[in-house]
Amino acid sequence: MTAQEVRLCGLLLQEHFGDVVEKVGTHLLRNGAQHLRAIVQETGTPMDLVKKSLCVLIQHGACAFSSGRKGPGSPVEYQASFERILRILRYPRYIYTAKTLYGDTGELIIEELLQRGHMTMSSTVKTVADRLTLNMEEGHSMEYSEVSNTFSKLVETHFLQRCPPVEVAGKAVSATPDPATTPGAPANNTTPSTPESFADCYKVPHVTLIGRGKRRNSSEDGEDQRNAKRAKEDPETHGDEGIYWQVNFERFHLHFRDQAIISAVANKLDQTSSEIVRTMLRMSEVTTPPIATCTQALSANEIFRSLPPNYNISRPILDQYLTLLVDDPMEFVGKSGDSGGGMYVVNLHRALANLARATLESVVQERFGSRSARIFRLLLRKRHLEQKQVEDFAMIPAKEAKDMLYTLLSENLVQLQEIPKTPDHAPSRTFYLYTVNQLPTARMLLQNCFKTVANLIERRLFETKESKRLLEKSQRIEAILASLQASGAEPEQLTEVEEMITPPEKQQLESLRHHINKLDSAENQVDETIFLLESYIKSTATATR
Amino acid sequence: SGDGVTKKISLDWIKELCQQFPQGITDQVIQNDMPHLEPQQRAMAINKLLSLGQLDLLRNSAGLLYRMKDTQTASKMKGSDNQEKLVYQIIEDAGNKGIWSREIRFKSNLPLTEINKILKNLESKKLIKAVKSVAASKKKVYMLYNLQPDRSVTGGAWYSDQDFESEFVEVLNQQCFKFLQSKAEAARDSKQSPMVQRNSSFATSHEVWKYICELGISKVDLSMDDIETILNTLIYDGKVEMTVIAAKEGTVGSVDGQMKLYRGVNAIIQPTGLVKVPCGLCPVFDDCHEGGEISPSNCIYMAEWLDF
Repeated sequence: MTAQEVRLCGLLLQEHFGDVVEKVGTHLLRNGAQHLRAIVQETGTPMDLVKKSLCVLIQHGACAFSSGRKGPGSPVEYQASFERILRILRYPRYIYTAKTLYGDTGELIIEELLQRGHMTMSSTVKTVADRLTLNMEEGHSMEYSEVSNTFSKLVETHFLQRCPPVEVAGKAVSATPDPATTPGAPANNTTPSTPESFADCYKVPHVTLIGRGKRRNSSEDGEDQRNAKRAKEDPETHGDEGIYWQVNFERFHLHFRDQAIISAVANKLDQTSSEIVRTMLRMSEVTTPPIATCTQALSANEIFRSLPPNYNISRPILDQYLTLLVDDPMEFVGKSGDSGGGMYVVNLHRALANLARATLESVVQERFGSRSARIFRLLLRKRHLEQKQVEDFAMIPAKEAKDMLYTLLSENLVQLQEIPKTPDHAPSRTFYLYTVNQLPTARMLLQNCFKTVANLIERRLFETKESKRLLEKSQRIEAILASLQASGAEPEQLTEVEEMITPPEKQQLESLRHHINKLDSAENQVDETIFLLESYIKSTATATR
Repeated sequence: SGDGVTKKISLDWIKELCQQFPQGITDQVIQNDMPHLEPQQRAMAINKLLSLGQLDLLRNSAGLLYRMKDTQTASKMKGSDNQEKLVYQIIEDAGNKGIWSREIRFKSNLPLTEINKILKNLESKKLIKAVKSVAASKKKVYMLYNLQPDRSVTGGAWYSDQDFESEFVEVLNQQCFKFLQSKAEAARDSKQSPMVQRNSSFATSHEVWKYICELGISKVDLSMDDIETILNTLIYDGKVEMTVIAAKEGTVGSVDGQMKLYRGVNAIIQPTGLVKVPCGLCPVFDDCHEGGEISPSNCIYMAEWLDF
């Protein structure tokens, strides 16, 4: 766990769950698996607050508990997961993807599940129906069955999965912080089992859910709160108690990866080729394991049949496109056989490596200029080169080439390899070769990305803090306006209240809003880079196993 | 006296033969032409001509070769002594690559001071010249006066007077790229079948070479190899890709039965997210931390970027 990773996780935890959870979470990240008493002592937080924090973390899958290392009698240990906490950064992307694939209903389902961590199907459906009803016209409301349909579709395509069932509570000793509604990792074995290892992972339970979303009117505020409380303790059952659902992040990641590959093909070749690759990826969605280096082999006949209907290209033309894809130096698609008109695979690992490489080149280009980028690409191609060879191939004068190489070297983007000719390593009799190692460089850039996101978050918090007084004032004024409007005040009164904010203050608020938006979207943009680099690193780790 | 006349006649005869065959004559040729001349007399005649400095003695795979010496240089060398002749010979042998003074010393076994004196002498007589090598700017190589220095010494088309012509290279780089790019666009717009489209977007190195020559932007003559080095830099810029195809011997532009094809390509990703943020380009990234002199809260780059 690097310092940057811990810092970023701390910021994310603080923003989403508050200071106490942040303290507990960061402590666990820094110190590995710990049992409850140790956490209480070392963080100086009261026991019940620690319990509640662990509750929250486990609810969101950011923390797992398992029996102690010292044997069956030792206290339960808790371990925080850095990867899971980092996913918080990607929530907007998940929600947006759900919206594009399954509309507003899908978007709200994913949003609710991300916010709550784990939920039953029935409570999700009810909440989402209520929210959708709120946005609809008077007199309309959302059917539960419609929402359930979308939910089932999400499960079918594996975007949602069941949380792994919890082991018998009796085995876990004293410090389990939460009553039975919290699912978690099985308490017995130390190897973490994935949700996929449970047979019913993607089975939608039979749920009796009949009804429509309820609209909450603002006049029924007081009633509402009582209703809400009552709803929580509602004894109404729907047949799916104890079955909790969570968002399947891996599935979303596969979707993002496919999107990246398709857009790369579209950029390099053309729209039709990218549609063919999209078809191939869609066909292998369920047959290809997530860590595979390439998809299952698909025959050209199958691809032809599965093309979208509005793409009426003839069979020989399809063959031409496939041949071109195979011949392309980027090697997105490979040919694995000749039966069935030609068997083709999508080279996932190769595509990720190319995308990561393009990312590295992009960073060097933007940061150091196109000539340094030329040297960088040259070294990536030729692996090892001497100083003189770099100058000759890149056609850059010696002095400038030397300068650029040394700059890249000092930033650790380029490494120097010594090959001595004599055993005494005398400098005059040693070859000095420049080289670029893609994997370590990608790792280093990933850490830079983490630091960058943390910087952006801190700047955003700083900007908000600076203008705290102004924000509070504007909020108060908005509240006054709202209540005046509700009680039917005169327009002059309204304008009088509005003018309590002076024009320069309005401008300041406007620029603050602009800053915050920019910082927010920048976080998402850097997260895209993080995704590409992480996928590449993970894919290389499994490919070389 | 008949002997003396024969000698004179044979000398002239051999000289005539040499002039007839400027590339040189062997013993056999002399014998065939003058069968009455005895080998001993022949040898004496040849030795006489050699000592007079009118013949050059060379050796090839078949044996000894006698060649007419260039009278101009022959007259110039008359005043020189053997040492100078030796040094001159060594320099001549080095051809158009030139030879370094230290190597002349090794080959002739003469002391350095002697060599320097001789070199100065020869230079003033305009028999040899010194050319600065582009590899080591302090090193001077000597070669015959009227020879064109080899590319390895002058650096070829990219160097003019020891200076690397970056602008020239840049201009060529851009022109080649524009040519390939417009070819690729034309292929795309032609709306033919994809295979034909791709093939017509390729240009051979020969085509690019012809285009550049016709543009006339180069003062020096560029070879196809030169153009290929420029095209390679475009590959390292990520703008162009290359394939090699087999070509029939004799096809225009083919070398050793293959041709190199180039075409313009697009980048596969947009500039990545990290570089759209000041931190991705920040020169003091490593010094930045919260609470320090440089921190996200007081970062001027961020402030500028936010107000943009």
